[in-house]
Amino acid sequence: MADTLSIRRVSASPDAYIPISALRSGGPTYAKLVDIGACIGCKGCEVACKEWNDLGVEPTANFGSYQSHRDLSPKTWLLMRFNEVEVDGNLNWLIKKDACLHCEEPGCLFACPAPGAIVQYTNGIVDFNQENCIGCQYCVTGCPFDIPRFDVHTRKVSKCNMCIDRVEAGLEPACVKTCPTNAISWGSKHDMLALADKKVETLNARGYQNAAVYNPAGVGGTHMMYVVPHGDRLADYSLPSDPTASPAPMTALGFLKRVGAYLMGFGVLGALGHFLRYGPERLEEHEDHEPHGDAGAPAA
Amino acid sequence: MAERVFNRFTYFERIVHWVVGVTFVVLLATGLAFSHPPLFWLTGILGGGPAARVLHPWIGALFSVGMGAMAFIWLRDMVLDESDWRWLRAVKHYATRDSRNVPPAGKYNAGQKMFFWFQAVFAVAHLGSGIPLWFPAGFDAALLQWMRLIHYAVTLGGGLLLIVHVYLGTIAYPGTARAMIDGTVTERWARHHHPRWHEEQTGR
Repeated sequence: MADTLSIRRVSASPDAYIPISALRSGGPTYAKLVDIGACIGCKGCEVACKEWNDLGVEPTANFGSYQSHRDLSPKTWLLMRFNEVEVDGNLNWLIKKDACLHCEEPGCLFACPAPGAIVQYTNGIVDFNQENCIGCQYCVTGCPFDIPRFDVHTRKVSKCNMCIDRVEAGLEPACVKTCPTNAISWGSKHDMLALADKKVETLNARGYQNAAVYNPAGVGGTHMMYVVPHGDRLADYSLPSDPTASPAPMTALGFLKRVGAYLMGFGVLGALGHFLRYGPERLEEHEDHEPHGDAGAPAA
Repeated sequence: MAERVFNRFTYFERIVHWVVGVTFVVLLATGLAFSHPPLFWLTGILGGGPAARVLHPWIGALFSVGMGAMAFIWLRDMVLDESDWRWLRAVKHYATRDSRNVPPAGKYNAGQKMFFWFQAVFAVAHLGSGIPLWFPAGFDAALLQWMRLIHYAVTLGGGLLLIVHVYLGTIAYPGTARAMIDGTVTERWARHHHPRWHEEQTGR
């Protein structure tokens, strides 16, 4: 398992903006593949996630859905969303395994101002390091999938870490391990892409003509991918059709920051330059002159 | 014989000025720390990153209150009149110390008035964009991204103006800073920089 945790990017550091290849030849680049068509909605993955990551129980209430919690939280990193949608006149659960997608181009990491609070490993995992987190929640503004959740008590943000402690030890993430129907697969990104294509073919053969792989290019692809039976209805799965890691305002902000640093520096230098040219204004020298604006006025 | 002095700013005005001034500098320092990783160490002035993140918005709230007080005491004085536009057209002469060609200023010259208006607009933009960033939960991510852009842009504008303000108020024009310390200026200073105000003071 050599090089499993070699680092690719670190938040708020120059490397965050320059994709560097691993210093050492990296180990495998992992991916999780979620075959939504094979999910039976047992939520075993949710339980496994809570258990392995020791997240504890949150009181829940029935809100008229089969879904366990209304939303992700600092204690719920994985939520099976049961979207009830009519497809061809029949009620369908378009289930979404809502958790971090571990983007190749992580918007959270690009948005993070705290050095070292978000780390991307060459194996594809994007991990939050709460020790360095300042609780600004800029990662929330940068994530195109609305995944990170802020804990108001600890003032830290957290999310799925792909069970990095298991992966590091050569194991699959807890949700993968527990899934009874093998709806969640684990392996190299390359293998998972190949498997995804096969799954799409199978779905096509079963009549799901719009079955598709969700591995959005706008974020450079993801390390959790989905196979969705109804690829034409991404919105009904709560999946953004065109997520991006560098939306227009953030691109503009990045440009402005580069210019801004220079402008502030030149502002100080400009004032200094003016001072060296004109010096402090000595009023004694003006004593025999007229004050401001009296040029040409008759002598008093 | 000691030179005659004039009261330029009241105790309350000076308090308000320094509340705004000190909070602005602390906000600028921590804001730059949040925007430029090489300056992240500036969060140390408030006790580190997490503490700076908690305190920055509260200090911003205090700054906003101070700006509100400034608007209350100075708004009427800051309205630009015809002579101010002539002053602005002659700003080149002001910058090059060619004081004979600068139209005489009242209590505030047009540059000071423009500084007030720009900072007032920037303060409103800072507050408006800062509140969603203070409590981002429940706001749309795209909206927050725009707020970040606006917040940074007005910080840049305000920061650049601050450089000019501090430079002119200190080393460029000796005798100016005391107006914001003990509240007074000398007659010579008043007659040179604000002749029309000087006339009002002396009743000449």
